[in-house]
Amino acid sequence: MPPTKDDLIDRYLHAVKFWLPKAQQQDLLAELAEDLHSQIEEREAALGHPLDEADLAAILKRRGSPTRVASGFIPEHRLISPAMLPVYKLVLRIVLLWVLAPLFVFIFLAPVFSSGHPGRALLEFFVEAWRAGFMVVGIVTVVFAAIDRYHAKWVDDWDPRKLPRVPVAHQTSVRRTDFAGFITGIAAFVFWACLMWQRSEIAFEGGLRIGLNAIWSQIYWPVLGVTLARALVDGFSFLRPASTRVSSGIRIGLDVAVILMAGVLLKVGNWVAIAAPNLSAADMTKVTAWVNGVIQVSLICAFPIMLFDLVRQLRLMLRGKPSQPAAILTVS
Amino acid sequence: MHNNGTNSELFDNLRLELRRGCLVVAVLVQLRTELYGYAIRKALTDQGLAIDENTLYPLLRRLESQGLLVSQWREDAKRNKRFYRLSPVGEEVLTDLLEEWQRMNSALGRILAAPVNRTE
Repeated sequence: MPPTKDDLIDRYLHAVKFWLPKAQQQDLLAELAEDLHSQIEEREAALGHPLDEADLAAILKRRGSPTRVASGFIPEHRLISPAMLPVYKLVLRIVLLWVLAPLFVFIFLAPVFSSGHPGRALLEFFVEAWRAGFMVVGIVTVVFAAIDRYHAKWVDDWDPRKLPRVPVAHQTSVRRTDFAGFITGIAAFVFWACLMWQRSEIAFEGGLRIGLNAIWSQIYWPVLGVTLARALVDGFSFLRPASTRVSSGIRIGLDVAVILMAGVLLKVGNWVAIAAPNLSAADMTKVTAWVNGVIQVSLICAFPIMLFDLVRQLRLMLRGKPSQPAAILTVS
Repeated sequence: MHNNGTNSELFDNLRLELRRGCLVVAVLVQLRTELYGYAIRKALTDQGLAIDENTLYPLLRRLESQGLLVSQWREDAKRNKRFYRLSPVGEEVLTDLLEEWQRMNSALGRILAAPVNRTE
């Protein structure tokens, strides 16, 4: 049996009702029904005969889908307000692209190459990456939604005098370096924290073992602290490029700490001992000597590098303010 | 072709923005006398400012919740209808809005009348 005129209207209104706010459902529906009946009456009067099912369907179709009609009565809610959106997007980009992605590649993708089942390891990597990605997006969104809901005023609580200085032209590249320093610093921090924690040797598949001298355990915390501090200073410099004195002062302290640690390490001499089942004793001695040689050269190189950075930071600290701001507006 | 489509979409968006404020004023003016939803729509359409039901009814509810309109259900022509009219607050706000509208209209008139100064 084809639907009657009233049947079509009832079905339409019932569909709209589902999406309307509960408290106003009956009231809004009565008004919408009245409007529809007025419209139908007028149309029938103009045509001179009752509307058939197709005419009525056309009127309802023109009025719009039930969800569209109901959406007008639903108060607009934004999870994150437009004023907060740029900060939210920046944080999300930093967390996903510059922190999570490198960490994932480092922690999860690296084992793929050493795994006996690379396909399965790769699949696990993608599953974990998606899971972590969704979780991070969810957490960041919930945090920002909460800030937006309860502390939205901080967006308007600002002082023009407290805005960061306009960076000088060359500082654009310096900021990139600071940002890269922050990311590599965090990666190095995680690497050191995970790989060297209470470790006396590093074992690989196939029986290769790298025995670590006790000095590595003794300097575990100083290295961890310096690495984290360095990353945070770079992050701070990236966010506040004008605070040259503060960041340079801290960097000088960190450079001195690295020089001292390199000095302590250099005194040891034998930093690692290599053991592999398929190598002869003579070969193992050669490999161990070669690896220790590389470490020694690296430690020696750390001195001029740190000294150069120390002098550079001293000059920056003494110079203080940026000399010439970069052109932001060009007036012609 | 693509450019025409983009321009048309751009125009539609700008037109929507332009109409949004005008519709509020038009509805408030119309409700200096008591009317129900369909009658408001008819009156506005007859005067050249067509308004879609999905715009009008949410707008009426919003203006009422803001205290600018009052409404009551009443029987008319054998059917129950919700009649709206301006509240005392609505009347005051409408007076201010119309003054603002006059100011903007005059300013826009002056801007349009000013000679065009094209610089290469």
